[in-house]
Amino acid sequence: MGILRRRRATSDGPVPADRSIVTIADAPPRRNVRVCGQVTRMRARPTSGLPALAVSISDDSGTAIAVWTGRRAIGGVALGRRLVIEGVATRRGDQLEFMNPEYTLLVR
Amino acid sequence: MKVVIAGAGSVGRYMADQLHASGHEVTLVDQTPAVFDRFGSEGPVTWFLGDACEVATLDAVSVADADVLAAVTGDDEDNLVIALLAKQEFGVPRVVARVNNPKNEWMFNEMWGVDVAVSTPHLLTAVVEEAVNVGSFVRLLSLEGGDARLAEVTLTEKSPAIGSAIADLGLPRESTVVALIRDRHVVVPRGDTVLRPNDEVLVLVTGDAEDDVRRVLVG
Repeated sequence: MGILRRRRATSDGPVPADRSIVTIADAPPRRNVRVCGQVTRMRARPTSGLPALAVSISDDSGTAIAVWTGRRAIGGVALGRRLVIEGVATRRGDQLEFMNPEYTLLVR
Repeated sequence: MKVVIAGAGSVGRYMADQLHASGHEVTLVDQTPAVFDRFGSEGPVTWFLGDACEVATLDAVSVADADVLAAVTGDDEDNLVIALLAKQEFGVPRVVARVNNPKNEWMFNEMWGVDVAVSTPHLLTAVVEEAVNVGSFVRLLSLEGGDARLAEVTLTEKSPAIGSAIADLGLPRESTVVALIRDRHVVVPRGDTVLRPNDEVLVLVTGDAEDDVRRVLVG
């Protein structure tokens, strides 16, 4: 709980410089970005024996992966669903990967 | 390389000096004014007074541009929070965290943003085991969250591997001999290197191949 509180307390820290949505191909790694796309693949990806959910999100420009640790499913996140993802991504191979990003479910 | 070190105790300060001496750009973060006052004014390393568990502090020391972050405070909970923030909020490519209490080591994994966990008690145990154990299989180091392991076996006369060339040992594909220590010299192993008693064999093992490797080298 201490950690959760701390996490929440810090979220009103520095405001990300860019809050507008960029295409996945143009999204720079290691900067706070928002991308929007459709869920094209969902995979359970346990890391170190603990559950994690890896969701591939594609827009017209490319595909990014969002990984949420500690869970096998997220209500409302399903194949075909459109999502907005916000967070800092890292480049793993040639793909952008978000770890525990904020997400917004969009109406289909 | 740009390195941020959280925790300016003796571990953090030593690391900062060493890394700076090897030409890296080092920033030390600590929240204790006393430590800051005492050491912060001297030396070429950049100091920052602040709580590394806060995103604002990490932002202020430009963790977003850091190549490596090392969370080496004396508090495991803090080290985990710092590691998670560095990975999740700043995408630091390599996050190293210090494990103070070995009971906590199981948490220091990818899930908490930790790429490499360093546990002094475990390292000490491995080194002591390595020194006293002959003829048994000693794990020296875990990599990739335990997926790959570096292990050491000192061969006895009884080992079934004695007299065989490495290529003929029948080691599983998930493993490879990476070095041999023979008469205090490191020998780079080749397929035709023949093993002798008292050779220290260093093996890189991935996956579940450990039992097979043990059978081949120890018997």
